Amino acid sequence: MKIAVPKEIYPGEKRVAATPESVKTLKKLGFTVMVERNAGEAASFGDGQYIANGAVVVETADSLWRDADIVLKVRAPYLDPVSKVNEVDLLPENSYIIGLLNPAQNPELLDDIQNKKATALSMDAVPRITRAQKLDVLSSMANIAGYRAVIEAASHFGRLFTGQMTAAGQMPPAKILLIGAGVAGLSIIGVASGMGAVVRVFDTRPEVKEQVESLGGKFLELDFKEDGSSEGGYAKVMSKAFIKAEMELFAAQAKEVDIIITTALIPGKKAPLLITTQMVESMKQGSVIVDMAAENGGNCALTQPNKVAVVHGVSIIGYTDLPSRMASQSSLLYATNLAHLLTELCPGRDGKLVVDVEDDLIRPIVAVYEGELAWPPPKPKVAAIAPVKPVADKKLESPIVDNKKESERDKNKRIAWITVLGGLGLFAIGSPAPESFLSHLMVFVLSCFVGYQVIWNVTPALHTPLMSLINAISGMIVVGALLLVSGPTASPVTILAGLAVFVATINIAGGFLVTQRMLRMFNR
Amino acid sequence: MTASILTVSYLSAGILFILSLGGLSSQESARRGAIFGLLGITIAVGATVFSEFVTSYRVMAVAMVGGVVLGSLMAHKVKMTAMPEMVALLNGFGGMAAVLVCMAFYQEAVGMLTKTEITIRNIEAILGVVIGGVTFSGSLVAFAKLRGLIGSRPMTLPGRHILNLSLICVAIWVGASFLNSLTVVDGMESLLVLLFIAFILGTHLVLAIGGADMPVVISMLNSYSGWAAAATGFMLGNDILIIVGALVGSSGTILTYIMCRAMNRSFLNVFLGGFGGEGNKIKHSGQKSNQEVVATSANEVAQLLKEAKKVIIVPGFGMAVAQAQHLVNELCQNLQKSGVDVRFAIHPVAGRMPGHMNVLLAEAKVSYDIVFAMDDINDDFANSDVALVIGANDTVNPGAQDDPQSVIYGMPVLEVWKAKATVVLKRSMATGYSGMENPLFSKQNSKLLFGDAKDSMEKIVSALK
Repeated sequence: MKIAVPKEIYPGEKRVAATPESVKTLKKLGFTVMVERNAGEAASFGDGQYIANGAVVVETADSLWRDADIVLKVRAPYLDPVSKVNEVDLLPENSYIIGLLNPAQNPELLDDIQNKKATALSMDAVPRITRAQKLDVLSSMANIAGYRAVIEAASHFGRLFTGQMTAAGQMPPAKILLIGAGVAGLSIIGVASGMGAVVRVFDTRPEVKEQVESLGGKFLELDFKEDGSSEGGYAKVMSKAFIKAEMELFAAQAKEVDIIITTALIPGKKAPLLITTQMVESMKQGSVIVDMAAENGGNCALTQPNKVAVVHGVSIIGYTDLPSRMASQSSLLYATNLAHLLTELCPGRDGKLVVDVEDDLIRPIVAVYEGELAWPPPKPKVAAIAPVKPVADKKLESPIVDNKKESERDKNKRIAWITVLGGLGLFAIGSPAPESFLSHLMVFVLSCFVGYQVIWNVTPALHTPLMSLINAISGMIVVGALLLVSGPTASPVTILAGLAVFVATINIAGGFLVTQRMLRMFNR
Repeated sequence: MTASILTVSYLSAGILFILSLGGLSSQESARRGAIFGLLGITIAVGATVFSEFVTSYRVMAVAMVGGVVLGSLMAHKVKMTAMPEMVALLNGFGGMAAVLVCMAFYQEAVGMLTKTEITIRNIEAILGVVIGGVTFSGSLVAFAKLRGLIGSRPMTLPGRHILNLSLICVAIWVGASFLNSLTVVDGMESLLVLLFIAFILGTHLVLAIGGADMPVVISMLNSYSGWAAAATGFMLGNDILIIVGALVGSSGTILTYIMCRAMNRSFLNVFLGGFGGEGNKIKHSGQKSNQEVVATSANEVAQLLKEAKKVIIVPGFGMAVAQAQHLVNELCQNLQKSGVDVRFAIHPVAGRMPGHMNVLLAEAKVSYDIVFAMDDINDDFANSDVALVIGANDTVNPGAQDDPQSVIYGMPVLEVWKAKATVVLKRSMATGYSGMENPLFSKQNSKLLFGDAKDSMEKIVSALK
């Protein structure tokens, strides 16, 4: 089948749905790949690179779409207001279209695709299950968007992120409040704390606390218990009382921090309003707000989508195209996610697409199936991230630590018992046993103690040489055999002893030589 | 040479042995330690050979020359990957020697002894023969398993605990009749029966234990060979043998304990059937793996390694099987040349015997100061860019920490998943020895490179050039 990769016509969209690298993968699957002229230019991929990896470059969008069996897109098909070209009209009948179609918000688009008897796969509907991680475009884009959000914040912020003490005075570190620790949020924490900023993080889902802290963020908590996680690992709408407590926290933080980055989104709903006009007014002059939910209405009351608004000296960044601002990297990730999807859909590696709507992984992505509306998909059954159970935490420690937690008192008790029993045992052996035996017993017990002390000091790296050395030393039994070997040659004692000498000598020679051989190898 | 000179030589041999083991506390002093050991044994053997108790040298000379030749050949020929087999075999020989000496000594009429002394001597003979016999047969089975002569999966007979118990009961009964036997011939008969029972017991015991539990078994047999020597020493009234037996026995016991702790299992648990036993197999065989993993290519791995600042390599038994240690060293050298900080992390039970991985890496000339034990390096995974896992599975299973259902839950593991990226070299998606699925493979930062470890390493190394 023929895959077509058109140049994105949405204004400002620099990404492309296939990279020279992903073309290689697609070719391996048996597909023919056509790329529109200059499709990858804005993302720094030249036509030459595509051709070198086996793609065909097609001059015009018209001829590209016309021949396509599968169209790979980034944005949903778009009606260009200037040239009046509607991409969905170009879509051939019975074809496949794959991209970020946003089916929940685009019912007309789904209608158009149905009229074309086509199949539409929406990459923004990838289920949040472990199997689907390699297809998770939202995560890969959010990761980039988070990175870019920090860079945008830094470029609009008049000070350094990192604190420094210089001859010219002290520079305090920038304080950042991050709301929402999803994929983008976690990326923000990593980047911002890497640049030296202090990052405080708020999220309604308590289970992300550990992740936040592992990246160097400080997790803010309310004195209020409510779990905001929902099926599928996204956040849900919280109760009124919770929201009130949350808003108080934000108001207090707004006075203190230099930068606020919000990433709060609830799937299928308008973004929650978290930063009010009063909060913006209470912020210091020169502060920055990055509203990553600008496209869905914004988390800040004063956000203007796709613009930087300066209100009360606070820059409010409402860019909705953060991934596209890092077009090269985000195209690489997006194209790889698409290539993984096509690998999944092409089990025969024969260039034929098989959309299995029974598959949990594939079903949620399918928005239109061969002209039939397939949206919305049935609800997922598994929770994506296991909720934190407080009990589990305790258990985590127990299997290893338990033994050590034995209290000093119990330990003393135990030692007392062992001493008493040991003493009685010795007495029981000692009273009937002859003197000769007891002197040997003394040697034995003391040697065991010496051995115990010495062996614990052996470094674990030398345990193998230790064992072979021990083998050699245990060959000392030859001494016992030697004392018995002097009798007449044919007597059973001599034969047995002779055999023992033979076997024990193998141990001595073999053990020592192999130990030496090994130890010679240990070099710095 | 007089008896007192003999005693003094034994004393110095004992001191030298202790110094010898003490020398193994660090790599620098280890070779000196081995020389001390050799010196000790030479002194003890020399003093015995030239003592008044030895009058005929013919049999002895033949046996000793034969032993030295065979031993040297073995030591010279053995491959480092086959060290567990060699140690198993030597353990067995130690046990066998104890059995032979006990039997020989039993037949030798010894001066006048009181009745109690005879009973004690006979009990010592029983201990020497039984422990030695178990050591010998168990070691041979362990050797066969390690060699692959027989399958490494645990082979269990129905009702094996009852079988073992009844064998022990029979042994006690035969032992009692041995104590009551009046003539040496009767006694020898009983001893042979005891030896036979010990053989069955040892064979059966080790047959029931699976491949990955070998570190425990070898350490344990190591200690048994010591206890057998100590029993022989008691019987002969020879202090140096008792000292050696005690040193060997406690060494093996400590190693066994360390290995058990590294698997979070009690000693009994290993023997009464732990993982790999029937129960787990049924639970997991019907279940098809539905793990979704991201496969990668050698080129990608090379790229990842080249861009990393800190890399930790985690070798496992798979590296030994594929004999990939030399390529691992080559990779390590290449990376070091381009300024990457490379270290190795060794799990205590990696491989088939304690310290196995260290020896293999040493053989491949990996500098020992970049090879770390688990406890010393586990916290550093979080600061590493890439963790490269070569043929390890259960020792890097995160389920041991966070899945109470897992059979290996609670076992200390290397936290490779905390590195920014984890690359696992693996032959196939098969589960590890424990039969547990490894959630590591489907973690988001994990990539799998399928194929024989050696081939994969070759490709990575050539991609790095």
